[in-house]
Amino acid sequence: MSDAIVIRNLVKTFDGFRALDGVNLTVPSGSVYGLVGTNGAGKSSCIRCLAGIYRQDGGDILVDGQPVFENPAVKARIAYIPDDIFFYSQAGINDMVKVFRDVYPSFRMDRFTELGKIFNLDPKQPLRKFSKGMQKQAAFWLALSVMPDVLLLDEPMDGLDPLMRRKTWSVLLGEVAERELTVLVSSHNLRELEDVCDHVGILDHGKMLLQRSLSDLQENMVKIQAVLPEGTDLPDGLHVLHRSATGRLQQLILRGRAEDVERQIAACNPVYMDVLPLTLEEIFIYELGGADYEVQNILLS
Amino acid sequence: MISINYRDGRPIYEQVRDGFRQLIITGVLPAGSRMPSVREMASSLTINPNTIQRAYRELEAEGYTVSVPGKGSFVTDRLDAVLARREALLTDFRSLVGELKQVGAEEADLTRVIQEEYNT
Repeated sequence: MSDAIVIRNLVKTFDGFRALDGVNLTVPSGSVYGLVGTNGAGKSSCIRCLAGIYRQDGGDILVDGQPVFENPAVKARIAYIPDDIFFYSQAGINDMVKVFRDVYPSFRMDRFTELGKIFNLDPKQPLRKFSKGMQKQAAFWLALSVMPDVLLLDEPMDGLDPLMRRKTWSVLLGEVAERELTVLVSSHNLRELEDVCDHVGILDHGKMLLQRSLSDLQENMVKIQAVLPEGTDLPDGLHVLHRSATGRLQQLILRGRAEDVERQIAACNPVYMDVLPLTLEEIFIYELGGADYEVQNILLS
Repeated sequence: MISINYRDGRPIYEQVRDGFRQLIITGVLPAGSRMPSVREMASSLTINPNTIQRAYRELEAEGYTVSVPGKGSFVTDRLDAVLARREALLTDFRSLVGELKQVGAEEADLTRVIQEEYNT
């Protein structure tokens, strides 16, 4: 799998404030990457640099191996739905279609018509009469008709009702499966992204704290409850991340594959042993070594 | 036909895998039937296609399905898979019986449960 997006050592300052302080980020093509962070962590700045709206102060931003800033050929393959959507003041969706067709050579009318069945908005109505959620839907309708290779979404599901959220993800994930669309989506809530993403990056104070594929994360940590025979301790060679006990019952968070860890502990004949599932939030907290309050805040909100 | 439960602690791919395993073992998806495409499953469950792919890979590795390039995945006649699953469940059953014995369950209690299950 090649990488659709590569960001190396990205720096962006505003009036001397380093909003992005050496961010590294890699998104394999055909994957859905969740960019998570608290307010002010740098998510939107990072996405605006990726969309070619901000010029970075340092570092590389490559989409399909090409720099993005002032590169129309690459930008024609990227669709972007910002947090604050812009439409021309009197425009309806039909007018915006004209704008989009000028900007994006790959805009497909047949796709636009097809998606109309899902979004169900009146394309002649002026967009300013729409509610916030309806404007967001309109933005999705237009962006998906572009048939982009890369889709950048900044807090995309804000303002959408649960049914429309589900419908929108359903269309997006269909395109990911069918034609390897790459999606980068930001959110302040990890749980919202858990089921749709395959990669997650956590941004904190302009730095990437951690980025991983979800399957790696889930396969490399185990939670075990066990009662060991009197006088025995855990076998050597286990990588224990966290250990607590209630009476004789020990609760352990260990690094490693479930089968391996289970076998090692079984070797010391535990009186009782049970492997418990770990939630994604728990994995991140232990992965980050019980990081500071702000990070816990993103994970548990 | 498969549903994802977010309260369930199992990772989503395991839920998908176990769901299909159940459908195949019970014959809801008979031998020779085509598995839904990754795209269909991703769209209908709104979960990541790579997650579905992973569940499908495991089902294939366990012998429940075979993939035919360009045509999709198909349910096998699954004899080996069912036998392997039976072995695994028997092992679980044995440890469960051991635990029941420790907490003082009588042999008669267990045989009664077994008979009830077999006669329904």
